[in-house]
Amino acid sequence: MAGTASRDNAARQPGAPWLTLKTREMLEAWLFVSPTFIGFLIFFLGPLVAIFYYSMTEWNLLSQQATFVGLRNFENALLENPDFWHVVRNSVIFALGLVPLNIALALSLALALSRPFFGVVFFRTVFFAPVVTSAIAWAIVWKFMLQGEGGAVNQMLAWIGIDGPNWLREPNWAMAAVIVTRVIKMVGLNMILYIAALQSIPRDYEEAATLEGASRWQVFRMITWPLLAPTTLVIMVLTTIGSFKVFDHIYQMTGGGPENGTLVLAFYIYQQGFKFFNVGYAAALALIMFAIVMALTLVQVMLRRRDME
Amino acid sequence: MTKVLLKDIRKRFGTVEVIRGVDLEIEDGEFVVFVGPSGCGKSTLLRLISGLEHISEGELSIGGRIVNEVPAAKRGVAMVFQSYALYPHLTVRDNMGFGLKVRKVPAGERARRVSEAASTLKLEPLLDRFPRQLSGGQRQRVAIGRAIVGNPDVFLFDEPLSNLDAELRVHMRSEIAALHQRLSTTMIYVTHDQIEAMTLADKIVVLREGKIEQVGTPRVLYKSPGTIFVAQFIGSPKMNILPLADGQPISHGASVPATAVSVGIRPEHLSLVQPSAETLRGKVRLAEYTGAVTLIHVELDGGQTCLVIHNQGTMPEISAEVGLKAAPEHLHFFDKEGCAV
Repeated sequence: MAGTASRDNAARQPGAPWLTLKTREMLEAWLFVSPTFIGFLIFFLGPLVAIFYYSMTEWNLLSQQATFVGLRNFENALLENPDFWHVVRNSVIFALGLVPLNIALALSLALALSRPFFGVVFFRTVFFAPVVTSAIAWAIVWKFMLQGEGGAVNQMLAWIGIDGPNWLREPNWAMAAVIVTRVIKMVGLNMILYIAALQSIPRDYEEAATLEGASRWQVFRMITWPLLAPTTLVIMVLTTIGSFKVFDHIYQMTGGGPENGTLVLAFYIYQQGFKFFNVGYAAALALIMFAIVMALTLVQVMLRRRDME
Repeated sequence: MTKVLLKDIRKRFGTVEVIRGVDLEIEDGEFVVFVGPSGCGKSTLLRLISGLEHISEGELSIGGRIVNEVPAAKRGVAMVFQSYALYPHLTVRDNMGFGLKVRKVPAGERARRVSEAASTLKLEPLLDRFPRQLSGGQRQRVAIGRAIVGNPDVFLFDEPLSNLDAELRVHMRSEIAALHQRLSTTMIYVTHDQIEAMTLADKIVVLREGKIEQVGTPRVLYKSPGTIFVAQFIGSPKMNILPLADGQPISHGASVPATAVSVGIRPEHLSLVQPSAETLRGKVRLAEYTGAVTLIHVELDGGQTCLVIHNQGTMPEISAEVGLKAAPEHLHFFDKEGCAV
């Protein structure tokens, strides 16, 4: 060892730094990423590992006693508790309503706003602004607008002779109302993604197709839409995940009602964990939600890949 | 007969006029090349003919029919884009058959015409590949194939070879020339490469700042350029232009027009001789060896640099005093407006 050390010392030029350039660069890199990395370990990876453990315990937050119960919480959710499947059904309905509506609206807006014209930036800002608005504030405003008596929506409907329902209090309408208001809030984000994708499609494709006799609809159907497929996949995956995670909107607008008609998975997890203090059960539900979202994402990716092939 | 006729064509983008009154007659079956420096309006002129841009003023007729208000798809033209514009999600077969499909040509007829074009361009083995699986030259051939399939009256090429490497460009140039011979269809070709223009064209249209500078066969443009701009644009390396006073010794024996203020001599028409009173005199500053010839930069006594193509005899040393001589018939004289006299 002494021999090695003396060889290292001998190889080092007088006045040269102790550490090699590569080592110094590596240390600098770690120094820069360490705040984020430490935050990731404490606030993300830690809870993620913990949730696996909690999901196998019966832990009432009030009693502060966690008992290991193995897969009992999962059995309870999947096989015994009818509420769980009702909640899953609500989440699926929410996603099935929200995702296609969001994509259709985002794409329509992007097609209209991807080319420059006077005022285009204003319109893009208008449609994007709800994305950066506080979700709670948004939900409160819509809650007032959707009131049965004196709500702005029903007042406008009354002008054209329609007697609007009590949107958030009638089981048939509440889910539709939360879907539509959620779409209006979030559509701007997908619109921006679609605008970026549309602008990256070379103009030559459209011109070549036009010269060959394609109508605008044919250009869209045969050229633009297939070329947007990768973006559509990303949007589908992100929007589906977002729709399963929806919480603040439901919390503020309906509280899961009426008659549990808008009780979706994320809100149900919150209820179990922080209202009824069944932390172990809530953790198991969270893992089930994770598995559902993961499975849906994989299915979407595989379907798109098959389409593209 | 697919004659293309442009009458006082103008194009404005806002207040900027980029095409400023172009009159041109393109005969049936002619291969016409638009050439000029960047921003001269050659691509815009092609797009006006294709219908991808709207004509601000003037009259365009194709095959005797005024087409100013006729949509691009109904003008009987097909265009090969600089980027090839091959649809990346479609196979070569589907790319070539795209136009026929949107025009609702029956599948059988479509397949026959695609396979016919593929055979013309030797594309059969590539028909089921995607554009990303093709080389630059193959993509170029597919783009041409897509244009052929539609059986157009006029082919438009917008700098189709500019994305290819030098060797492939030479090869594709000859393929395009052969294709024109085989199809005998009117072809309009845009390039900024004057070698491409010279080798392919029946007729070259030199454009400058949105106007036609000169129209003629490659030989006419080379031998009798109408302006200094054309003289320097056509031919490589470009023509040397000297003030008449500086060029006096070399024009000895030539009949110099009274209005001439400058004289032009192509580098290939200058020869290196012993300096004397009847030669231009200068010093060799640089010699660029290119294999077949050497391009010699000679700094004249007046301070101007003259290019000389030297392909025989001994190479002069750098800084050596040399004389330059040219035959009187190779001299071009220009007046103070830059027009040939």
